[in-house]
Parts: sequence; structure tokens; C-alpha cells
Amino acid sequence: MFKISLNIIACFKWVVDHEDIKVNPETNELVLDRAGYRISDYDRFAIEEAVALSEQYGGSTTAVTVGFPAAKKSLKDALARGPEKAIFINDPAFANLEPSQTAAILAQSINNQEFDLIICGEGSGDLYAQQVGPRLAEHLNIPCASFVRKITIEGRELIAERRVDEGIEIISMPLPALVTVLPEINSPRVPGLKDTLAASKKPVVEITGSDLEETVPCLETVEIKATTMERNCEKFDANEDDLKRFVEVLLRAGVID
Amino acid sequence: MAGVWVFAENYEHGLELLQIGRSLADKTGVELTAFACGDKEVGQQYIYYGAHQVFILPPLAEDQPLETYVPAIAEVARQEDPDIFLFAATLRGKEIAARVAARLNTGLCSECIELDIKDNKLEMKRVLYGGAALQTIICKTRPQMATIPVHTFTSVTDLDNTRQGIIKEFDPISSTPVKVRDRQPRAQESGDITRSRVLVCVGRGVEKEEDLKLARELAEILGGDLACTRPIAEELHWMPQETYIGLSGQTVKPELYIGLGISGQIQHTTGIRDSRIICTINKDEDAPIFKISDYGIVGDLYKVVPFLSQELARLKKK
Ligand SMILES: Cc1cc2nc3c(=O)[nH]c(=O)nc-3n(C[C@H](O)[C@H](O)[C@H](O)COP(=O)(O)OP(=O)(O)OC[C@H]3O[C@@H](n4cnc5c(N)ncnc54)[C@H](O)[C@@H]3O)c2cc1C
Ligand SMILES: Nc1ncnc2c1ncn2[C@@H]1O[C@H](COP(=O)(O)O)[C@@H](O)[C@H]1O
Repeated sequence: MFKISLNIIACFKWVVDHEDIKVNPETNELVLDRAGYRISDYDRFAIEEAVALSEQYGGSTTAVTVGFPAAKKSLKDALARGPEKAIFINDPAFANLEPSQTAAILAQSINNQEFDLIICGEGSGDLYAQQVGPRLAEHLNIPCASFVRKITIEGRELIAERRVDEGIEIISMPLPALVTVLPEINSPRVPGLKDTLAASKKPVVEITGSDLEETVPCLETVEIKATTMERNCEKFDANEDDLKRFVEVLLRAGVID
Repeated sequence: MAGVWVFAENYEHGLELLQIGRSLADKTGVELTAFACGDKEVGQQYIYYGAHQVFILPPLAEDQPLETYVPAIAEVARQEDPDIFLFAATLRGKEIAARVAARLNTGLCSECIELDIKDNKLEMKRVLYGGAALQTIICKTRPQMATIPVHTFTSVTDLDNTRQGIIKEFDPISSTPVKVRDRQPRAQESGDITRSRVLVCVGRGVEKEEDLKLARELAEILGGDLACTRPIAEELHWMPQETYIGLSGQTVKPELYIGLGISGQIQHTTGIRDSRIICTINKDEDAPIFKISDYGIVGDLYKVVPFLSQELARLKKK
């Protein structure tokens, strides 16, 4: 096949593992200090798509993340998934950014890189704001398609199948461009030992906050509280007596007739 | 005219936003402006339902995607400086809102599920961490923007077709580099699970596509509909996209929810929070779903579901 050679940037976020989130029962506040972190689930699809496209059409992939120093740990994991290099935009102040800031920081850092395509996840695992991708496209003044489930490249055009509320829209746009991708777009490969070893040898470019213009948040958080769900929590076994009792409970509750 | 502005890609969502927009406009004593996409008739209706002003965006050419409106929307907002700007959180609505917010250099609350005016500021709530937490935010820049999931609020009902309002039309919009090549409507018209009284919801504990018939049978006996978790729709493609429940799917409020083979990850359960009764069947007694269930059956769904269907059918006959 004719090689186009694409420089692709995959944006990923290092997010708190939601299964590790604890709640202080007295204040209903979240306790995050012992929580582990991971590459945001949805961004695995973004990295995979970037790597798969560069394998298919030729070219290379750069994984980019904005984070605080502890996010250094994410780089090896990201690189083991196939990108040739990583850019780590790192600052202690980058722990709780809002989407407008993340997009502005990414835009400044990416601006002088050569790229043909930027791929973001549909939303980040923690904020799930679904904003950074489209905002970044606006900052860089490039066309954008969101909620994409299939990408093909024809010359300097990108063809995307994207979800809209009534079904699917197939669009084309010239490169360079940005897409945000849905999980259905691919099945991310699971890195093996060889990939992990190779990852440690790949180059990482570090950019710090002092290299960039400062960003100011537009949003202010007034409060964050755990959501609670109080339920009966009555358990039944799978034997005949218990199941009959279960049906009776539903009858009495008036939800079945 | 500043005030509260609303944008929705279709008429039905537009009426929902008018309802919220009008309550906010009344509370702050400002005017309400709505956008209508390419249809003067819709704009006229919006006025009858309470908009003081409508902006009629010009019809788009066949190959122009809805996002073609972004520069025009951002430009008029820059000139007129609204206080509050709300968008219906359809897939395209979310992209348009994010891009308009970027152009206006302002903050955007995504998928706002509650909002109110406090000290003349818009206070907005949204979920974080997949549904584990609720965040309250305010926006310090102008306009204060939010996307609102559809069906979060009721539509306006009090139509008054003597109402007068200002109608402003836009010039035709020049094309953007993104072109629509084709559109494919949804394959099957699946029912709207957000309105179901009873929902039987399947998860990955169901091993094969053909086993969905066990769940379908139970749903039929209960007079309910079938729903699923995200992987069933998005990874396995066994059920239509519109039938999965959760953070990135539908929010449902049935009288009865019965979950089969579902682990209970927060991204799913956040969508069933308002169900009246939650029942679940899972063979793992430590599955997190039991913590948020009213009645949980610890057992193999392949044994439990046929028995329940049989038992319910027997009772029905009586
Ligand atoms: C940002 C984000 C957004 C997301 N949004 C959504 C969303 O909107 N909706 C959604 O659903 N998910 C969403 N997810 C995915 C979510 O985190 C879970 O991965 C998903 O809900 C799990 O689906 P499941 O319960 O069907 O499968 P699993 O987690 O694999 O659970 C299967 C369960 O079936 C049980 N089981 C297996 N065999 C049997 C049997 N024979 N009988 C009885 N029980 C059995 C197992 O014990 C297990 O508990 C999102 C994830 C992220 C990161
Ligand atoms: N800190 C970050 N670093 C790099 N990419 C990010 C970051 N935050 C968000 N993104 C990208 O933007 C997408 C949407 O994020 P969000 O707007 O927070 O839902 C994610 O799926 C990532 O691809």
C-alpha cells in the first residue's frame, strides 16, 4: 500500500483509579491519598488507534500527557503500547487542571511539533468532560470530528465515521486534524514483557510549566461530595424457596402484577 | 441583548432548554434567547413558548455538518455577551459547546444535572469519577456555560401564540473544511428505555448473544424492556447503542430494574440511581452490585432466570 507517513499525537491522561476511591463516612468527602493511578481507560483506545494507523499507513506516534510529577509512571505504560516517543508536560501545578487549561497547555506544547493527526479519547476517566479534544482543535485552528468509531486516510484527507444522535455521519476533512475516538473503534493490545522492556529505551521529552504561559481556571469548585446510594441490600440464595420468596417481595412491593 | 441563551440541535430538546432557561432568566430578571437551526417555524414556536428573542441560523447544505455553525454562534456571543449559555448535551451539542467555549475563552460545565442561581451566579452540579462523586462548580468567566443532558428537565408546556418576540436571521454560513459524505440513520428503531416502567438489564455475565433470549423472555413476562451495560453494546454489538445504561449511556428511572450478570461498576450504576427498586442476579457474592441493590440473588443467571420466568408466568396465569 502507498505509504503516506503520518505523524500522530495521542493524548492520554493519568487518572485516579476509581475503584480505589474511599469515602469518609462522617463528612462524605472523598479520600484519594492512597488511591492508585492508571492511564485513563478511554485513552487506551486513542493510543491504540494512533499506533494502528501509523502501522497501517507508515509514520510514527507520540504519546502526550499533561500531569503532575507522579504521572511520570504513566510514560512507560503508554510507550509499551506502541508509540515511538512521549512528551511529558509536567508541573506540580498540573494536578487539578480543568479542561480549558489542559487544552491550552496541550496547544502550547504541541504547536511547534510537526503533526498530521491528534487523537484524544472521548472523555477522561476522572472528569469525563469531553472537552479537551474539541477545545484543543480550536486552539490549533484545525478541523475536528468527535465520537469517531472508524478512521481511514485517503491521501491528505481523513475519513471518519462518527456517532451522532440519529445514527452515523461519515465526514471527510483535510489533515492536519483532530479526532476523539469511541471505545468501539478498536481493541487495544495488551503489552507484553518485550514491549515493556522496549518502552524503557524510548525517548521522553519533558516540558515544564515554566516553559509555558500560565493558564487561569475559568471554573471554581465549590464542593465535591461522594454520591451515596442507600438500598435495602437484602440477599437471596438461588434455591427454590429463596427465589419464591424473592418473587413475593416484588409482588408486595407492587412493581409486578 | 445579554441574558440567558439556549442552543439545541432539535425542537424537542429546545423546549427542555427553554424551560430551564426561562426559570433562570426569571430569577435573574433578564431576557431569554434561543437558537433555531435552519427553521423559522421552530423559531416562532420558541417565542410562543417563552423566548424573548430567537436567532434563526440559516439552513445548512447537504454536506455541511451541524458544527459548521460554531464560528457564527461564537461570534454573536462575543458581540452580545450573554450571562448564561446552555446547550443540549447531544453528541454534536457537546462538541459545539466545547468549541464555542474555547473560542470565547470561558468555562463549561459538561453534563450539568442540577443548576440554580446563588448570589447572582449560576451554581452547577455534575458527576465526577465515573459517578462516585458530585461536584458543585461556578464559572468565573463569561458567559457561564453548561451542557444539559436531554430528559434532565421537563419541557415547557404553556404555549401562548399571541406572544411577540424578536427574530434575527443570520447570513448564509460559509463552509468549513469538514464535509459530510454520507449519513446512516440508526439501523433499528429501538424503544426509549428512559421511559420504561420495568427494565431487565444484561451484562457480561451473559455468555453468548443467543442467551439474550433468556433476558428477553423475563422482560416480556414483566411487561418491560431490555437494556444492557456498555460492553454489551459497544464492544460486543449485541444490542443497540441507545440501550446501554450509565455515565456515557442512558439515565433511567424505572419502577423495577433487574440486572443480570452485572458487576456494578460505578459508571453503570450511576445511570440507575433513580430506579425505585433495584434487583440483581450475580454468581459472585462479593460483586459490588449487591451493595446498591434492594434485593440481590447470589446465583447463576442461567439457572435463576429461567426459574423466575417460569414462576412469574405461572402466577400470571392464575
Ligand atoms: C469513563 C467511563 C465511562 C463508562 N461508561 C459506562 C456506561 O455508561 N455504562 C456502562 O455500563 N459501563 C460504562 N463504563 C464501563 C464500566 O466501567 C464497566 O466496565 C462495565 O459497566 C462493566 O460491565 P458488566 O458489569 O456488564 O461486566 P463485568 O464487569 O465483566 O461484570 C460481569 C459480572 O457478571 C457476573 N457473572 C458472570 N457469569 C455469571 C453467571 N453465569 N451468572 C450470574 N452472574 C455472572 C460476574 O460475577 C461479574 O460480576 C464506563 C467506563 C469508563 C472508564
Ligand atoms: N491531562 C491530560 N493530558 C493529556 N491529554 C488529556 C489530558 N486530559 C484530557 N486529555 C485528553 O482529552 C480527552 C478528553 O478529556 P476530558 O475533556 O477531560 O474529558 C481525554 O480522553 C484525553 O485524550
